[in-house]
Amino acid sequence: MTHVSRRDFLRDFGLSAAALPFVLNLPSLGFANQQARKQRLVVMFSPNGVVPSTFWPDEEGSEFKLKESLSPLEPFKDRLMTLHGVCDKVRGDGDNHMRGIGCLLTGVELFPGNIQGGSHTPAGWASGLSIDQEIKNYLQADDATRTRFGSLEFGVMVSERADTWTRMSYSGPNKPITPIDDPYQMFSKLYGKLKDRESLKSILDDLQADLKKLASSVSAEDRQLLEEQTTFVRELEQELKADSTAAVGHAVPELEPGIKEENDNMPKLCKLQIDLMVNSFVSDFARVATFQITNSVGQAKMRWLDINEGHHEISHSPDSDEKAQEKLTRINKWYAEQLAYLAKRLAETPEPGGQGSLLDNTLIVWTNELGKGNSHTLDNIPWVLVGNGLDFKMGRSLNFDKTPPSRVLNAIDQGVDFITGKSIKPGKVAHNRLLLSLAHGFGHRITKFGNPDFCGDGPLSLT
Amino acid sequence: MFLGVSTVCGADRTGEQIYQQVCASCHGAKGEGTIESYPHPLVGERSIGELTEYISKSMPEDKPGTCVGEDARKVSQFIHDTFYSPTAQARNKPVRVELSRLTVRQYRNAVADLIGSFRGAGRIDDKEGLRGEYFKARGFRGNARAFERVDPVVAFDFKDKSPDDEKMEPHEFSIRWEGAVTAPDTGEYEFVVRTDQAARLWINDLKQPLVDNWVQSGKDTEHRESIFLLAGRTYALRLEFSKAKQGVDDKKVKEKPPAPASISLEWKRPHRITEVIPARCLSTSRPNEAFVVTTRFPPDDRSVGWEKATSISKEWDQATTDAAIDVAAFVASRFEEFAGTKRDAADRDEKLKGFCRRFVERAFRSATGGLDDEQRAMFVDRHFAEGVDSETAVRRVVLLTLKSPRFLYRELGSLSVPRPLGSGPVESANRVESLPNGRGTDGVLVSDPYDVASRISFAMYDSLPDQALLDAAAKGELKTREQVAQHAQRLLADPRTRSKLREFLLTWLKVEHVPDVSKDSERYPEFNATIANDLRTSLELFLEEIIKSDTSDFRQLLLADGIYLNGRLAKFYGAMKDDAELPADAPFQKIDLEPDQRAGVLSHPYLMAGFAYTGSSSPIHRGIFIARSVLGRSLRPPPEAVAPLAPQLRPDLTTRERVALQTKPESCQSCHAMINPLGFTLEHFDAVGRFRKEENGKPVNASGTYRRRNGELVKFDGVNDLAKFLADSPETHSAFVEQLFHFLVKQPIRAFGSNTRETLRASFVKENFNIHRLMVEIIATAAMTTTEPKPQTAVVP
Repeated sequence: MTHVSRRDFLRDFGLSAAALPFVLNLPSLGFANQQARKQRLVVMFSPNGVVPSTFWPDEEGSEFKLKESLSPLEPFKDRLMTLHGVCDKVRGDGDNHMRGIGCLLTGVELFPGNIQGGSHTPAGWASGLSIDQEIKNYLQADDATRTRFGSLEFGVMVSERADTWTRMSYSGPNKPITPIDDPYQMFSKLYGKLKDRESLKSILDDLQADLKKLASSVSAEDRQLLEEQTTFVRELEQELKADSTAAVGHAVPELEPGIKEENDNMPKLCKLQIDLMVNSFVSDFARVATFQITNSVGQAKMRWLDINEGHHEISHSPDSDEKAQEKLTRINKWYAEQLAYLAKRLAETPEPGGQGSLLDNTLIVWTNELGKGNSHTLDNIPWVLVGNGLDFKMGRSLNFDKTPPSRVLNAIDQGVDFITGKSIKPGKVAHNRLLLSLAHGFGHRITKFGNPDFCGDGPLSLT
Repeated sequence: MFLGVSTVCGADRTGEQIYQQVCASCHGAKGEGTIESYPHPLVGERSIGELTEYISKSMPEDKPGTCVGEDARKVSQFIHDTFYSPTAQARNKPVRVELSRLTVRQYRNAVADLIGSFRGAGRIDDKEGLRGEYFKARGFRGNARAFERVDPVVAFDFKDKSPDDEKMEPHEFSIRWEGAVTAPDTGEYEFVVRTDQAARLWINDLKQPLVDNWVQSGKDTEHRESIFLLAGRTYALRLEFSKAKQGVDDKKVKEKPPAPASISLEWKRPHRITEVIPARCLSTSRPNEAFVVTTRFPPDDRSVGWEKATSISKEWDQATTDAAIDVAAFVASRFEEFAGTKRDAADRDEKLKGFCRRFVERAFRSATGGLDDEQRAMFVDRHFAEGVDSETAVRRVVLLTLKSPRFLYRELGSLSVPRPLGSGPVESANRVESLPNGRGTDGVLVSDPYDVASRISFAMYDSLPDQALLDAAAKGELKTREQVAQHAQRLLADPRTRSKLREFLLTWLKVEHVPDVSKDSERYPEFNATIANDLRTSLELFLEEIIKSDTSDFRQLLLADGIYLNGRLAKFYGAMKDDAELPADAPFQKIDLEPDQRAGVLSHPYLMAGFAYTGSSSPIHRGIFIARSVLGRSLRPPPEAVAPLAPQLRPDLTTRERVALQTKPESCQSCHAMINPLGFTLEHFDAVGRFRKEENGKPVNASGTYRRRNGELVKFDGVNDLAKFLADSPETHSAFVEQLFHFLVKQPIRAFGSNTRETLRASFVKENFNIHRLMVEIIATAAMTTTEPKPQTAVVP
């Protein structure tokens, strides 16, 4: 059974009650997708780059140690993969923060526009759709993998401004998707109809009583109208009853009420959103999700970690500022904790109607708009993969940069000339190829995604 | 009394004679039954065949078998057709005020006003255009404000210049326009912001932009979004525009090359084309956010010419549920604001309950404090039970209230909510018994004051009574006809009333649904969608002038010789008085045309083009419009569907000759003898409504006739003759009175007395055909007639 009630399902697909028996005899449309393995993708975003020295493992291959930033992921070490040397090579209009988030999942240039960054030319929105939407479209096109929403875009404390810095997912050129960063709004999107039906059910007895009372006090001719309505109300009651039978066992999660969207509530908001995401997977509402914590240039003040400055502000501090680097490490460690919580929830939740846990069928991709905050580099974007959803060979630390490690660190420290693009080191790979790998992981064998110039040699081999 | 077979069932007797001789003594002369023998009405659902069989076997009761064969069949047919069958019963039923649900328009308006009553309307003024604040910076900082002015429309191409050279620099500035937009019709509106810069547009909801183009990306310069709006209502509008780079404000950049900038604010009204929002639809008002029900309802039954809402369907019931859920969600998202309380307030629950009680009272058109204990428990208190959070409780109250017949139906009358003592002149509970005619001992009409308030408001503007009406009801000030008329008079200025009257006039002209007037582009190459759109506007401006004028003289609709034209229309239709000319880009203005060529709406090119084919005029469509709408004649549909004779098949004939030829058969003439000679009088107007003197090289013959109901034959030549006759004809006046009555009251006029139409017509004449006065008279008549039928016991089967 799906966790969408039958009526929701029918309504969402524009089918009327008259088509119901037809649909039920056509399992492929509604329910047969339960037989095949459900693969899922979650893309988690945190901003402002990382501290490379406390983030990247020193070793390559399956024998590696997690450093401080990634230490919360220790329980999932054999189910994770770090990918060093995967770079965002897209250039063009916009500063690095803008291109960092706008090209991250799209792999394509931004349109020229009126949004001026801290440097470079002004830009508009991305000129193509993002990989999460590409995969969503692929899954939604097939009866066997189609779900009620296809994809869900979660956020936490995303800026009120709708601009290039605050949007990561695109349903097409110039079509940014606004992440939902209010858990209550997400709840109502996911479960609103169910709640409405509960409320409706609770008033029907009163309504019947009211109708009966009024019917006894009008003329016989007029009474017919009220009796007709009484019949409709009775039918509605029966439909609702049938619905609730279909929805048995798909409990609506309880949300802690009244958590305001405020900086200091970020930990709670993250937890609420993660819980909602896991629930939506249990109900198979979607197979693709994004989880955008703040936005590019995010200014979270992590007072709960005793850090009172904004994240972006600190991220500009030079490497020599050890205090700042220590804070940045703590900040990224906190993001890793959120990832760990998501992985834990997925790992401990059995796959409904399938084998193993949700994490066995889900790949989480954690990423960032920059490689490193103070240099604004788009090289070595921090890619951390957790989970077994796409059958990649996990438990490895990969390095696609075949230049000697000392030189790598060196290059990062020096910063890069991004306008000319000359800084791209031999041996590093374009992140478009990783985006291709994600699509291929779902069996969607596209050969190009985003700017084709960066897709040479095809998907990265991760299996 | 039974007289024996031979005498009774003679072959020459009719079914009625047989019935009166044999059956009536027990069944009554009209099948109503007799107390001694058969005290039940003779009604049922058997067919004539079944009745015949039954009568042959069993009737008359004391001598069965004596009325058989052809006699039995004849008497069965008589009984069946005269009073027995369901159709006969319906025919015999007296016309009465029937229990009606809210029409779709009434439902939407009632919900909007119910929610609106908790916020107020905001500040509404009549000043056209939008307030524009101009800033010499990219943002809207107070200290960067350069000047303010009212812009009639937003359609600016600044090029690389400043809006005002003396007050601001050309390379970086911003403008914020604020005010309101009024929706003439109900439906889906597309708002279009056309700009090469950053811009944002809010409509109604000032928190969430409808169009957000703060990021100007790529080459898109047209940004459009849809929103559903209700007719006659004014919605808040804000438009922000910024010529500047957004994002990081880079003051270091010294070099600022000249760059172009432009912005226009346009819309596409339902069934219309995209155009700059005209000044007359913009105002400097500051209305509060309105709630608009967007749920799709099945359309109301208009088969009788007005929205008759005496039946319901499953789809309607589903729509009321869906809409109630939407309203509940909206209220739940703002209930603390409505209730005037906060999350942590100590008296929060009490405040919320108080809000819910007022919500129920207003929805039920009842007095403040008008719910009795039982109703208060049922509709409000019960939902605030232990373990139910208050948001859920409020949702439930809203759902139950909006699903209750007390909200959904009109004419439930005082049965719906008991009134507090002393609120009216008569106790509602015993009113029906003690005052069967709705008249007090002094002969003055009396009614429950809250019923009267509801009838006034729904008839005037299709919504709940306003506060002044409720106050008057509470004070017992809706007792007399004068008091009711005073309120009706007051409400004439209400935009909702004007909107309703506008819709009526469009309905009267049979163009309420915006007909497709596209034309044969080879014959009329200059007649395009823009001209068609302009024509519609021209007609609407004319109607609005009549609606707004104090005299609101009905005859002007038929006789006025001016017409609203803009530059485009003037060029196309020409023939202005004294060869005057308009510049091509001239806005709409009232123009006097060549006299003797046009008369009021009858010859308005929009109607002439509407009642025409794509390539030729249609005297039949025009004749039917005059006969049915203007003169109120009933016409049967044609006996068979007939395709019009194509002009190219008989190129030697004029349209008039072709129509005459095709409708020559006797079977056509019963109606076309009336239709054609009326339509022919408009033959001076071609398929696009242009005046012509010749057709196919032959002079146009625009002579016509009309046989009045009293048998007199009237002759006309051309539109002016016709218009003069119609404007003075009591038939026209009667038809207008009846149609307006039905459109306002939505109950059959005969249910308010057999003389009502004539009385209203007489007062219409006396009041110089003032449409406003007629509305007041109609409202006073309908609101003061006590029509509630006495509760009856079920019909004996």
